[in-house]
Order: sequence, then C-alpha cells, then structure tokens
Amino acid sequence: MGQLTEILTQIVSYTSVYALASLGIVIGGRTGVFNISGEGIMLASASAGFIAAYQTGNWFMGFLVGALMGALFGLILIYIHEKLKISQFILGITLVILGTGLSDLLYKTIVGVQLFAPEAPPVPDIRIPGISQIPIISAFLNQDIVVYFAYIAVFAAYYIFYHTRLGLETRAIGEDPKAADVVGINVKLRRYVTTIIGGSLMGLAGAYLPLVVTGTYTTNISNGRGFMAIGIAIFASWRPERALLGAFIFAAIEVFSFQQQLGNSLIPYQFLLMLPFISVLLIMWIFRKRVEFPAALGKPYSRE
Amino acid sequence: MAGQEQVIQEDSRGQEIWNNVKPYVLALLIAFGISGVIIGLLGYNIPKAYQTLILTSFSSRRGIIETLKKFIPLTFATYAFAIPFRIKFFNIGGWGQMLFGGTITAVVGIGLSGFNIPSVIFIPILILTAMVAGAAFAFLAGFLKAYYNINPIISTIMLNFIAFYFVNFVATTNPWKAPQTGHPMTLKLPEAALFPKVFGQIHLGIIVVLIAIIAVYYLMNKTVLGYEIKATGYNPDASSVYGIKMKKTLIFTFLIAGAMGGLGGGIEVMGVHSRLIEGFALTSGAQYGIFGILTALICQGKPLGVPLSAMFISILLVGADAMQRTLQVPVELVFLTQAIIVLLIVVLRRQAGGGYIE
Repeated sequence: MGQLTEILTQIVSYTSVYALASLGIVIGGRTGVFNISGEGIMLASASAGFIAAYQTGNWFMGFLVGALMGALFGLILIYIHEKLKISQFILGITLVILGTGLSDLLYKTIVGVQLFAPEAPPVPDIRIPGISQIPIISAFLNQDIVVYFAYIAVFAAYYIFYHTRLGLETRAIGEDPKAADVVGINVKLRRYVTTIIGGSLMGLAGAYLPLVVTGTYTTNISNGRGFMAIGIAIFASWRPERALLGAFIFAAIEVFSFQQQLGNSLIPYQFLLMLPFISVLLIMWIFRKRVEFPAALGKPYSRE
Repeated sequence: MAGQEQVIQEDSRGQEIWNNVKPYVLALLIAFGISGVIIGLLGYNIPKAYQTLILTSFSSRRGIIETLKKFIPLTFATYAFAIPFRIKFFNIGGWGQMLFGGTITAVVGIGLSGFNIPSVIFIPILILTAMVAGAAFAFLAGFLKAYYNINPIISTIMLNFIAFYFVNFVATTNPWKAPQTGHPMTLKLPEAALFPKVFGQIHLGIIVVLIAIIAVYYLMNKTVLGYEIKATGYNPDASSVYGIKMKKTLIFTFLIAGAMGGLGGGIEVMGVHSRLIEGFALTSGAQYGIFGILTALICQGKPLGVPLSAMFISILLVGADAMQRTLQVPVELVFLTQAIIVLLIVVLRRQAGGGYIE
C-alpha cells in the first residue's frame, strides 16, 4: 500500500505538468488560437524559472518568472498573428525553436558550467491535517502548491467555460469568431487574454520541471512533454476536465516506464522510453472518431 | 516618350527587386543587431565575433569543406520539411527520418559486410536503403493524416523521439554495437560501403546532394506529380475538383520528404562517421531537423531556394562552431539568432505581401 501511494504521488506530481501545459493549449484553442509552441515555452521557462529561483533562493520567484516567460511567448504569438495573420503553426514552430535556443543560452551565460549541478531551493509540500495520513488519498493531497494550483486551474477553466456567460461567449469565438463579433464580443481582446494566460500556464509547467521534478536544470529538460500536451489537448477535445484525465493517463505511462526501467524488464529500456510517445499515437488513433475541434481553431480572423 | 516609359519600367523593376530583397536585408540587420548587443553585454569582442561568424567559411580550404559538410545533411533535412510544406502540411519529422534512414543504413551495411560486395554496387544499395527507410518512416505520418486525420505535426514529432531511442537501441545492442566504447555507436561499416572522397577532401555526398537538388527541381516543375503538388498547395478545394486526389498527393509528399531525410541520414553514416553513432544528426548544439525547418521557412520551401538558404545557414553554423571554439561564445547564441532571423523574415515578407498565411 505504501509503495502504491508513493508511485501514485509521483504520478500526481507529473500530472500537474501535463495538465497545466495542455490546459494552456485548451484555453487558447477555445478562442481559435492553436499554440503549438508549448515545448519551446516549457524549455525557456524551465531555464528562466530555475535561474530566478537559484539566484534569489526563492522558489516562488522561479514559478513567477517561468509563468511570465510563458506569457511573453503567448503575447509574441498572438501579437504577430493578430497583426499580420501569419499562420499560427509557422509562428508556433518558430517559437519552439526560439525557446529551445533561449533555454540553454540563458543557463550557459548566467549560471555557466559548474562542477556540481546547482540545485533549486526545495518547494515545500502542503499537508492537509488528517487526510495526509490516509493511503492512496494522501497521494492527491500531500503535494506542492503547483499541484493544488493545477486542480484549481482545471476546475476554474471548466466552471468558467461551461457554467458562465463569459465562458460561453469565449467558446463562441473558437466556433465562429464572426458571429461572436456581431453580437458585440471583443474577439481580439479575448484572443489576447486566452493566449497569454495559456502561455503562462505552459510556462508554469516548464518551471515545475527543474524546481520540483528534477531539482536542477538540464538541457532539453522538457523532453517532448510540451508536444505531448498537444496530443492531450486533442484527446480532450479541448475540454479542461478531459485534459486533466489525459494528463493523468500520460503521467501514469511515464512513471510506469520509469518503474520498468528500474526493475529487470525483458523489454529493452529504449522501447520503454519510447512508450509515452508511442502511446500518444495510439491514443490519438483510438479516440480519432470522438475528437471534436473548435471549428475556427488555427484560423485567423479579420472583419473583412 | 517611349524612352521615358522604359525608364519608369526599369525603375519599378528595380523597386520590385528591392521589395523582394528588403525583408531579408532588414531581418539580417535587426537580428545581427540584437545578437551584437548580447555579444557585447556578455563581454565578447563584437567585431571579432562577427568576423568569425561570417568569414570562417571563406577564410580557408578547411572552412569551405566544413561548410559543405553541413550543407549536405542540411539540404536533405530542409527538403524533408519543404516538400510537404508546399501543400501546407508540416513534416517536423525530418530529423526522425534522418535518424531512421541512418540507422537502417548502418544495420544493412553491417549485415552485408561478409559478402565482399564491391563499392559500385554496395553504395547504391545503401543509398536506396536509406531512402526507402526514411520514406517508410515518413509514410506512417502521411498515412495517419490521410486515413485517420491525425495531425502530422504531432505524429512526426512523436516519431522523432521514437527514432532517437531506436538509434540508441541499435548502437548499444549486439550484434551491431561497437565493443568497449562509452558513447553509443555501432561497428564500422565495411570499407566498400563508405563514401570515397571527391574533389580532394569532400565525400561523395556532395555529388549525391547535387543530383538530389536537380531531381527535386525536375520533380516539382516538370512532372505531373509536381504539378499536382503545386496545384494542391495553391488551392486544395479547386484541385480536388479537377480530380487530384488529396490523399494521394499528401502521402506522396511525405514519401518524398522521408526519402530525402533518410538519404541525409544515410549519407552522414556512409560519408562522415563510417558507423552509426548517437548524435550523428546533430550540429552546433541542435538537430539538423530544426535547422532544416528554419532553412525551409526562409525560402518558403521553394525547390531552388532550398540550396541557397541551406548554404546561408551552413555558413552561420560553421561560424557558430568557430566562435565557440576560439572565442567561447556559446553556439546557442547563433542558434537563437537564426531563429530570430527566420521569425523576422516571416514577419517582414508577410508585411511586404508574401505568404506564410495558412
């Protein structure tokens, strides 16, 4: 039981990475902005967030700077897209490359090569008295602040999108921006807001990796999770609560792959490392008929 | 009167050329300005850094050879992205196709080592192997898009990671792995499978890439398939009316792209490393696949623009390596600069009325 709780604790921690990154994509997607640059954002935010926490000795600064970096990427994407209607995919892929380059450059020039890998200030767990002793359940409620934040963010997004007028209007932009414009919704403003919030969530997910998961920054720390988050958003049909489910599934697959590598598995470890990526393809194939996209996803909108 | 008209026409022609060139010039100036500030802030000598970055390729015979050695795989990686990009699909998997092509080339090359096959047969067999392997790998993504509507951006990226671990598997597993090495690598390929040197010091890949450039140009401009690809690119709906099958065109572009990527990987194995070695498709701190995307975006994937852009990026890559070696300027700075250059080219060309919309 104790071991199961331990594994589950790790899965929940990883879930928050995937949940925040895919929620960022989902929120932007609801106004028609498909931000595929998550991998670049996560790398840049991991680096910037780690440096901020390391330099100030304050983990909170790490998360803050990571989220701000993500917001900046979101702003660049939506600004250029709104101004010039350049393809979101071209911009997204360029931003992935920009973020990848920026991550190592920042780290190399500010922190530099050191004999011992510098460590981030530890992020404390928040224990809920009483509940944190119960097996299994404690795995969900014996976590750091970002995990709680991820729960709240997913719930808030779900509530706003499906139970408020604000959310209904915002979703309308993703389906038919012209109709939304006609009834007086400020399409441009909402696209800016959702893309920037989405970017900051991806940035938070990126900063979480060096600050909590590994404790230190390494090259390519995100290792494709930003791309897998796109798969999760598609699997989730752009619904926040389903993104959380998808995040949990992929976190479980990743942790399973680790566990198998530690044991004496008959499967060569390289194939275990492939497993999360193969799973994305398999899950997208299995659920291909149930996937729904916001109708205006990825399309530029102008009044002409 | 006629003379005056002529002058006006020539004027507008000059204007037109300038309008086409302006985005590139501006992008370069701004990006180099930004990186100059960073270089200065980091305390390096700015003129010396730029001199190293831009002139290393031209300063010596070795510089030229190094540039061509990057130009060859980069051109293939660029075609891998550029060809599906003509019909507005994104093959981010050029890198994975390179890795897979290189890996299968090494496996087949090592497997055939006992048969004493002469070079004139062995090398074409392996070139074909690399192309087929790359094409098969890319086919997966094309097929998933055509029949199951799975976004190629996702599928090709996932396949990149799968290919990466596959390289590691082959390079660390019997019967292929080299005994007693720390870094994952396979045994050496037999001598007859390796590219000879031509023109003095550069390997046979330079001839192969020239043939590929001509072949892609011919394919895109002189064949029905090329016409269909272009027509689909301009207007997918109209071309389907004229009986051009979208699915067929889509899968063909991925097959060609994959063959190009795979060949690029195979050439690295046969021409540069003589074996499969982990990290063989990396340069200046990043994957050839990523540089291929940047290169293709510079020229919007136009077949003859590819070698020109690839040469430009190769020069910067050689300069980046030299800057790191001699001045300790991190290669990532040049990588970042290249990304900024491309972003600016996309923005400025779009402003001047160019494409990049969908």
